[in-house]
Amino acid sequence: MSPDLAVVVAAVALPFVAAALTPLAFRVFGERTGFLGTAVALASFGLLATQYGTEGSVALEWIPSLNVALQFYVDGWALLFAMLATGIGALVFTYSPAYMHGQAGLPRYYAALLAFMGSIVGVALAADLIAVFLFWELTSLASFVLIGYYTADDSSQYAARMAMFITVGGGLFLLVGLLLLSIVAGDVLGPGAAFDLATMLENPDTMRNALRERGLFLPVLGLLAIGAGTKSAQVPVHFWLPNAMAAPTPVSAFLHSATMVKVGVYFIGRVRPMLVGEEWLFLFATLGLTTMTVCAIMAVAATDIKELLAYSTASHLGLMVAGFGFTSVYGAETGVFHLLNHALFKAALFLVAGIVAHEAGTREIEELGGLRHDLPVTAAITGVVALSMAGIPPFNGFYSKELLFEAAVEASHHHEIGVLGWLYPAVAVFGSIFTVLYSLRFLSLFVGERPDALGHVHRPPVSLLAPPAVLALLAAAVSVDPQRAVDLVVQSGLEATAVDPHAMHVGLPTSYSTPVGMSAVTIGAGVLAYPAYGRIHDGVRAGLKAVPPIRANWWYDRVVEGLSDEGRAFAEWVHNGHLRTYATWTLAATCALALAGFVAAGAIVPTTMGLEVTVPIALVLLVAVIGAVAVARADTHIAGILTLSILGFMIAIFYILASAPDLALTQLVVETLVLVIFLLVVEEIPERYEIEVGRVARDAALSVAVGATVFVTILVTTDARPDGPTEIARAYAEQAVPGGGGTNIVNVTLVDFRGFDTLGELAVIALASISILTLIVMRGRGDASSAGDDGSRADSSVGGPTVDDAADAGTDGGPSGGEDA
Amino acid sequence: MTTVIMRTTARAIVPIVLVVAISLFVEGHNLPGGGFIGGVLTVTAFGIVYMAFGLDFLERGVLGREVDPGKGPSRDRVVLAYRRLFAYGFAIAVASGLAPLVFDRPFLTQTFVMLEGVPIYDHLEVASALAFDFGVYCVVVGGLLTILSVVGAE
Repeated sequence: MSPDLAVVVAAVALPFVAAALTPLAFRVFGERTGFLGTAVALASFGLLATQYGTEGSVALEWIPSLNVALQFYVDGWALLFAMLATGIGALVFTYSPAYMHGQAGLPRYYAALLAFMGSIVGVALAADLIAVFLFWELTSLASFVLIGYYTADDSSQYAARMAMFITVGGGLFLLVGLLLLSIVAGDVLGPGAAFDLATMLENPDTMRNALRERGLFLPVLGLLAIGAGTKSAQVPVHFWLPNAMAAPTPVSAFLHSATMVKVGVYFIGRVRPMLVGEEWLFLFATLGLTTMTVCAIMAVAATDIKELLAYSTASHLGLMVAGFGFTSVYGAETGVFHLLNHALFKAALFLVAGIVAHEAGTREIEELGGLRHDLPVTAAITGVVALSMAGIPPFNGFYSKELLFEAAVEASHHHEIGVLGWLYPAVAVFGSIFTVLYSLRFLSLFVGERPDALGHVHRPPVSLLAPPAVLALLAAAVSVDPQRAVDLVVQSGLEATAVDPHAMHVGLPTSYSTPVGMSAVTIGAGVLAYPAYGRIHDGVRAGLKAVPPIRANWWYDRVVEGLSDEGRAFAEWVHNGHLRTYATWTLAATCALALAGFVAAGAIVPTTMGLEVTVPIALVLLVAVIGAVAVARADTHIAGILTLSILGFMIAIFYILASAPDLALTQLVVETLVLVIFLLVVEEIPERYEIEVGRVARDAALSVAVGATVFVTILVTTDARPDGPTEIARAYAEQAVPGGGGTNIVNVTLVDFRGFDTLGELAVIALASISILTLIVMRGRGDASSAGDDGSRADSSVGGPTVDDAADAGTDGGPSGGEDA
Repeated sequence: MTTVIMRTTARAIVPIVLVVAISLFVEGHNLPGGGFIGGVLTVTAFGIVYMAFGLDFLERGVLGREVDPGKGPSRDRVVLAYRRLFAYGFAIAVASGLAPLVFDRPFLTQTFVMLEGVPIYDHLEVASALAFDFGVYCVVVGGLLTILSVVGAE
C-alpha cells in the first residue's frame, strides 16, 4: 500500500503553519496556547498513524529543472521516528503551560517548539537530499532559538551558540556528503535520481559499487558520519549536548530524548543498507562505543540532575550508533529498538527532573534525596524509567542493551577484526557499568534520607505529572510485553535499516548465553560499585580538573576564544580607520587575485598587438596620456581635478569615435558630476600632506601594480574577442526592436533583456545612499543620545526603513524636541 | 565658488541641463540616453545649484521655507525628500518587475504598445520598460542627491 501525498504533506506542514499562527493564538488563548500545541502534535500524530503499514514515496514538484522535489518516503522507520517526535511533542506541549507559567516570550517559545517538531517530522520523512538537508538545518535553527530561550542569560547564549556552531557546522559536512552522493547517483541511476534518496536506497549495491569505483565511498561515509555525529553529539563533539541543558526543561526533554539529537542516529539507520560494510563497522562501532563509555563516565561526574541526564543521553546515543555500526542484523535491532526505548524513558526522566527542579527549587544532586515522601507518584514513575535506563531486567532498556551485547559479540563472526573482536564487547560492558551507576544515583534522589536543608516540596499539578506518567506506562507496557512492541513498530523499522532482516524476537533469556553473562557482569559490577559512587564521582571530577585538555569543552573554548582574539587582532591591523589602509588592501588584493587568476588559467601569453589605430583616436589618446601626466604633476588640488577631467573627457571622445554613444554619454555625465562633487569638497582637503618615504614607495608600487593589472586584463580580454559580433551580440541586435520596442540596443538590453542586472545595480545605489546616511547621520545621533536627548534616542533605536519617519518627527520637534519621543 | 560669474552662468545652464536630462530620459529607449544617464545629469544640475548658491538655497530661495543655518544635514527636509525619492524609485522598479507575474509571465517581463494617430506625434510607442526606467531615474537622482547633500553639508 502506498502512502497518501496529502496526508503526509499535511502532517509535515501542520506544525509549521501552527508555528506561524502562534503569535495570534497567544493573544487569544494566553498561556493555554500550549494545549493548542498538544492538539497540533496529536493531529500530526493522527495523520501519521493513518499511514501505518504503508510504504513508498510521494512527491510534490519543487525545482523541476534541477530534479529537486519535495519528496517524502514513508516506511516503518520513518513513521516510528516521526510518530515518536509528534507523540512526545504532544506530551511536552501538555507539560509546558504549567512549567513555563509566567515566563516572558512564550509566543516565541511555542512557535519555535512547533517549528522544531515540524522540522524533525520533515527529516524523518524527507527522501530528497535537498529536503533532508533543509529540514536538518531547520532543526538546528529551531533548537538554537529554544536553547537560547533565556536570552538575557550568558550561559544560555553560550550554549545556544555552541549548539548552533557544532550542529550547523556538522550539517555543512553532511551537505558536501549529500552532494557527492547525488553526483554519483545522477551518474549511475539517471539524472532523475540525483537527489532521490528513496531510489538510491532501492539500489544499494549499485550505489555502493559506484561509490567505490570512483573512490568516493570513504569520503561520503566520513562526511555523513561527521554530519550525523555532530548532530547526535558523538565524541569528540559530545559536549554541546550537556551544555544545551541551559534550555527550559520541557525543551530538554524534547531535544534530548525524542528528537533532534536522534536525527543523526536516524539518518545513520536510514543510509545503513546503502553504505554498510567493514569500514562502516570500524567507524560507527568505535565511535558509538567510545561515546557511550566516555559520556557514561561524565554522567557519573555530574553534579546537576539535568547534566547527569544530558550526559546519559549522549551515552545512549553512542549505544544506538554503535548498534547501527555492527553490521549484523542484531546491530539494526539494537539501533531501532533502543531508539524507541530511550525515547520513552529519557523523555520521562527529563520531565521528572523538571518536576523536581520546579517543586524542590534545586537541581543539585547533593541537595536532593528522599523525595518519595513528597512526590510518591513521581517516585513510582522514576522507578520504572530509571531502571529501564540502567538496563535492569525486565525493564525495556534491558532488551535493547542485550541486543547490543549480542551484536558486539557477533561482530567478530562476520568480519576479521582481530583484537577488536573482544575489545568491542569488553568496552560495551565497561560503559554499561557506569550506566547502571548513574541510573541508580538518579533513582536515589527518591529513596534514602531527606536532607534537612531541603525545604517544603509542593505536589506537582496534574498537567506536570500526566506526561511522564504516560511515558512510564508505555515503557512499562514495552517491558511487560516487548514482543508486542517489536511486532507493532520495531519490526518495520528493522526492515528499513537492516541488510538481511528477519523476524525479530525478544524476551527474557531462559538459558545462559554470552550476552546474558555480560548483562550479569554489568549489573553485578554496577550494584557492587554503587556504595563507592561518591569516590568514583570525586575521582572523575578530580581527574577532569587536573588535566583540562581531556575535556572537549576546554578545546572548544580555546578554539573559539583563540579565533575571536585572532580575528580581533587581524581586524585592528587591516581595519585601522585610515581610508588609505583600506584602499591599499582592497587594491592589492584585487590585483593579486586577478593576476593570480590569469597565471593559473595560463591566459598571459605574448600576443601580437595590432596597431589598427586611426589618426583621430591616436590624437585623443595622446591628449589623454598628456592629461594623465599632468595629473601626476599638478601642484594644487584644483589643477589636479581639472587635469583629471581632461583624461575623463578624452575617454568619452574615444567612446564616441568607437561608435559607443551611450557609453560616451554616460562617461561625459559622470565625469561632469564627479568634477562638480570634487569642486564641492575640494576646500575641505588639506593642501599638503607630510608623507614618509616608505609610504610613497608603497603607494608607487601599488599604483604600478594596479596599472599593470588593468593593462594585462584589457590585453587578455580583448585578445579573446572573436571575429565579428558574437551570437549573443547578434541576438540582442536582432531582438531589440521586435522584443523590446526600442532602437537603442544598449538601453533595451539594460531594461528589457537584462532588467534583473539593472535592478541589482539599483539596489547597490540605494544601499550606498543608506550606508552614507547611516555613517554620517547616525554618528551625530550617537553623540546626541549620550547627551540624554530623548528624541534622538528614539530615533537611533529604529531600523532602516523607518528612519524617514523618525527623522520626520525629529524635524518637527527640533533638535532638542522631547515631544516626538 | 559663489562668485557672480558662477551664479549668472548657473542661472542659464541649470534649466537647460534639466531639460536635456528629461529629454535623455524620455528618448532613452530609442536614442542614447535612459534613466541612468538622465538621472546623473539631473544630479549634475542640482550639484551646480549647490555650488553656486549653497546648500540652503533650495530650501530658502526656491521653496520659501525657513531654515536654521546650524541645522544638521539629516534634519533638512529636502534631504528627506531625496531619501523618499530613492526609496519610492526602488519600489517602482520592483513593482514594475512584479506586475508581469499577475499576467502569469516571468519576473521583469517587459512589453510595449504602439499608439497610432496620436496628435503631434502621429504614432507613439509606450513601453512598459519606461516604468522600470523611471524607477532607475528616481533611484539615481534620489540616491546621488542624498549622498551629495549629506556629504556636502559636512
